[in-house]
Amino acid sequence: MSLGHVLSEEEARELRRRFADWDFISRQPPKIREALKYYIEKGDLYVAARIAGLKVEEFNELRIKAGIPNVA
Amino acid sequence: MSRRVFAIADTCFLIDWARFRRKDMLFKLFKAVFVPEDVLNEVRSEETIAWISSALSRDYLALYTPSRDEVNEARQLIEESRLKPHIPSVDLPEAICLVAGRRRGYVVLTENRGALLIPKFMSRYSGVVVWRSLEVILNAILEGVVEIDCSKPGELFSEYSRDTLHIFPTKALNRAVEEVKRKCLGK
Repeated sequence: MSLGHVLSEEEARELRRRFADWDFISRQPPKIREALKYYIEKGDLYVAARIAGLKVEEFNELRIKAGIPNVA
Repeated sequence: MSRRVFAIADTCFLIDWARFRRKDMLFKLFKAVFVPEDVLNEVRSEETIAWISSALSRDYLALYTPSRDEVNEARQLIEESRLKPHIPSVDLPEAICLVAGRRRGYVVLTENRGALLIPKFMSRYSGVVVWRSLEVILNAILEGVVEIDCSKPGELFSEYSRDTLHIFPTKALNRAVEEVKRKCLGK
């Protein structure tokens, strides 16, 4: 069964912004920092990992360390 | 091939799912879950590599190599979706899964919000079944492939949220928990 309800882009972004550890993010090297900020805005793990120059799994670990939830 | 026998998971879904303590429940729901080849390039931890390679060796997971024609349709889907401002962007990995879902009846497993919305807004893909982790867990419970404690109907969803730092939309989560309660009551 499919539950259907999907949050709007704005609602999902707001949750990622609210939970993110901005201090952790600001302490990262530029590529990582920008990739985390991209993830907060778009929620796209694959592209964010490409920006960071990391594998998806590595970036996913970083997402969790930065406190950014996957919202879906 | 009938729906629900096979699923196709995008790389991001599988890598996130791999953190879940009850990740093997996925293999009780489907005969096989296809994954794009690039999933192997996107894992690093020994634990995840071991889980994926073990599942491949037991035929629970299978690599999916899209045909040229499928890639062309996926690129067309990306272009069409980008012309619709109310659909979040979809990239090639999710688009290929949606094409496989449409052509082969596979359930598409993804957390990509664009991929979740495409069946609602693009008639060509209206028959594609797309599940998030929320629907995978709910269907596993409803089909009895995983044991639950009926005094805690939301516990499995909470476990997933904790293991993967995931937030489910409240409305969809509440609906899922209500379904679990109904199952517990035998309705």
